[in-house]
Amino acid sequence: MRERMKAFLLAGCLAVSSLALSASAEARTLRVAMGTDAVSFDPIATSDNGSIWTQLLIYDTLIRPDKAGTGLEPGLAKSWTVSPDGLTLTFQLREAKFSDGTPVTPQDVEYSLRRAASEKSDWGRFFRPITGFKIQGDHEIVMTLDKPFTPAFNNLALFSAAILPKAKLEAEGDAFFEHPVGSGPFVLKQWSRGSKIVLAANPNYWQAGKPGIEGAELDIVAEGAARVLKLEAGESDLILDPPLNQMKALEAKDGISVGQVVPYRSDFVMLNTTKPPFDQEKVRQALNYAVDKEGLIKGVLYGAGKVAATAMPVMAYADPGLEPYPYDPAKAKALLAEAGLGNGFSTTMLVNSSNAAHRNVAVALQAMLGAVGVKIDIQMIEGGTMWETTKAGNYETALSFATSDTIDPDQLIGFLAVNPERANAYHTQWKNEQLNALYAEERSTVDGDKRGQQFQEMIRLFKEGAPDIFLYHPASAWAVHDDVKGFEILPTSNFRLEDVTFAD
Amino acid sequence: MKPMLHRLLRSPAGLGGLVMLLALLIAVVATPLVSPYDPYALDFGNALLPPDATHWFGTDNFGRDIFTRVLAGAAYDLRLATTCVFGPMLLGILVGLCAGYFGGWIDVALMRLTDVVWAFPFYVLVLTIVGVLGPGEGNLYIAFFLVNWIGYARIVRGETLVIARLEYVQALSILRFGPARTMLRHILPNAVTPAIVYSMSDLVLTVQAVAALSFFGLGVQPPAPEWGLLIVESVDYMRDAPWMTIFPGLAIAFVGVAFALLGEGLAAALQPRG
Repeated sequence: MRERMKAFLLAGCLAVSSLALSASAEARTLRVAMGTDAVSFDPIATSDNGSIWTQLLIYDTLIRPDKAGTGLEPGLAKSWTVSPDGLTLTFQLREAKFSDGTPVTPQDVEYSLRRAASEKSDWGRFFRPITGFKIQGDHEIVMTLDKPFTPAFNNLALFSAAILPKAKLEAEGDAFFEHPVGSGPFVLKQWSRGSKIVLAANPNYWQAGKPGIEGAELDIVAEGAARVLKLEAGESDLILDPPLNQMKALEAKDGISVGQVVPYRSDFVMLNTTKPPFDQEKVRQALNYAVDKEGLIKGVLYGAGKVAATAMPVMAYADPGLEPYPYDPAKAKALLAEAGLGNGFSTTMLVNSSNAAHRNVAVALQAMLGAVGVKIDIQMIEGGTMWETTKAGNYETALSFATSDTIDPDQLIGFLAVNPERANAYHTQWKNEQLNALYAEERSTVDGDKRGQQFQEMIRLFKEGAPDIFLYHPASAWAVHDDVKGFEILPTSNFRLEDVTFAD
Repeated sequence: MKPMLHRLLRSPAGLGGLVMLLALLIAVVATPLVSPYDPYALDFGNALLPPDATHWFGTDNFGRDIFTRVLAGAAYDLRLATTCVFGPMLLGILVGLCAGYFGGWIDVALMRLTDVVWAFPFYVLVLTIVGVLGPGEGNLYIAFFLVNWIGYARIVRGETLVIARLEYVQALSILRFGPARTMLRHILPNAVTPAIVYSMSDLVLTVQAVAALSFFGLGVQPPAPEWGLLIVESVDYMRDAPWMTIFPGLAIAFVGVAFALLGEGLAAALQPRG
């Protein structure tokens, strides 16, 4: 009886898996399951990863980060020159067309970048330093700056600098973003909010022979465990962020491979420095000493991550000698005692309820900080309301993360550590005038060693001031059927589907 | 009272339910004294162990003993469920008594109010209230108190309407007993029986509702070992470590069955004898 049962089950499994195989060999559309939906396709009005990743499949930028995340490579611009004083940027555009067949012109470039610098743009300060545009012929545009602003060039590789068709956008207004047109590898065919984004290959794409797939369906599946089931059932060809505890089992499965990469991302606990006792630097440092970061990575991330020295990812100009806060509960207790909190204290921590890894991290942090007398009450909060809550200052501590959309550290240091700049040191309200001054200096220093030292000094000050509890740089993982070739996640956390093909 | 208990113990369902609940209560009280494990302490070295002689229900992803956590969780679930049932029950009984005894505009006003609450599906209302107030145990109580009393109000009102017309109650008014005394001493004991039976099935549903709300992140917050939370935390591990899901689920089923049996026993025991 048991044998017959086994044979029956085996036959069932075979039937299911062969069905799955035949389905994916015929379908040339890549079916992706991911956890977050886009919010909008307007590149100047978004800052969430779901939107950014999808936009980068639809739009092009003049230049873009290369796959290694160490340099910039041609996008819509086939070549460029930057004057030695950094005040003049000249771009030669390639022959490219938008998905509706109209050519990409320098006028489109000027319009898109002026729009990105406008008052209405969330990313305006990234582009406002470019003050002049001069169009020369059909394929050349010269941008000028009034005063040196080193990140200007790099910022053109940001998704928010996407090149959009001027005529169409002017005619349609905001309705354009319901059916956006770009010059990128894919065209938006259908978007059912919260459920699915359907993309078709752009027939006019400028990279010959790409994309290698007919289209892509991005299924929004919030639960990681459900994404794994979809992959195994053959309903998805590729899933992003499988639960890390299931990576080993997935890898062992026939026909499925997994990959992971540590992108420019870091996870940390924001501390509201306007609320005692987080106004005291010693307390903030004590919390950093109290966390066993290695233990977190091993126990919660199953090894898929690296210890973080600060909330700044390890990227260009990073100081290899910068040591993380060591795990030293005794020192943490001593610092708390010096701050007059020898008996510990209680606080609350906001945690995104839909982030399974963060739920687990929060529980581990609660135990670690409890060991030095800091009692933490976890407050689950819906992910969508977290940003508004911390922005309004209605929190004591909050578990969060940041990713870099560029390869230059300017974007993130401005976000995480400079106050006011973009986000009041990411809603911690921490302020260090020396760091603010260095930030201004860095932005007018030509790329090179000196600028590198300024970044390193800023990050040292950031670490010492500890407006956050610095935790780890987590890996981004994916799992894929073996017939899908060429998928990878880039250091900027996004992915390029134009390089993906199906093996025969 | 004594014959009632006697009758309850004589019905197999009632006896079974009572024994199950008593066994659970004893285990809840005894476990912290006997178990070598702390329901909250992390021990990554012993994570995800399957059930065996040392960890009867296995361990979770933090190496916490699930047997200890499930029993520690019983304290949460039983406290929440009983408060969310018996609190609103008192309120509902009071409303039903007043409506049925006084009649007239008081009855109309109170019953229209119950109709309004009744018009909304239970979960929609509870989810909305907790969603507006924010998650947490306190707000869970508020939500259930606002919603859960209507069933009792309706039952008790109906009984009171009938009883208030009986001769002995009319005799009381001739004797000039005040309404409070009449209602509480003479009507309530006879009107409350169906409400008590109903409360048992209500408990079954409420245990599940409390767990469901925590499952959605709206109830008790981690690291409390509340059963719904145990289940939501197990989702990513369900395939490698099914014991993380199964045992809290069985615990919910166990309590549900116990209250259902007890309810059946009570219904039999409280039935008026001719």
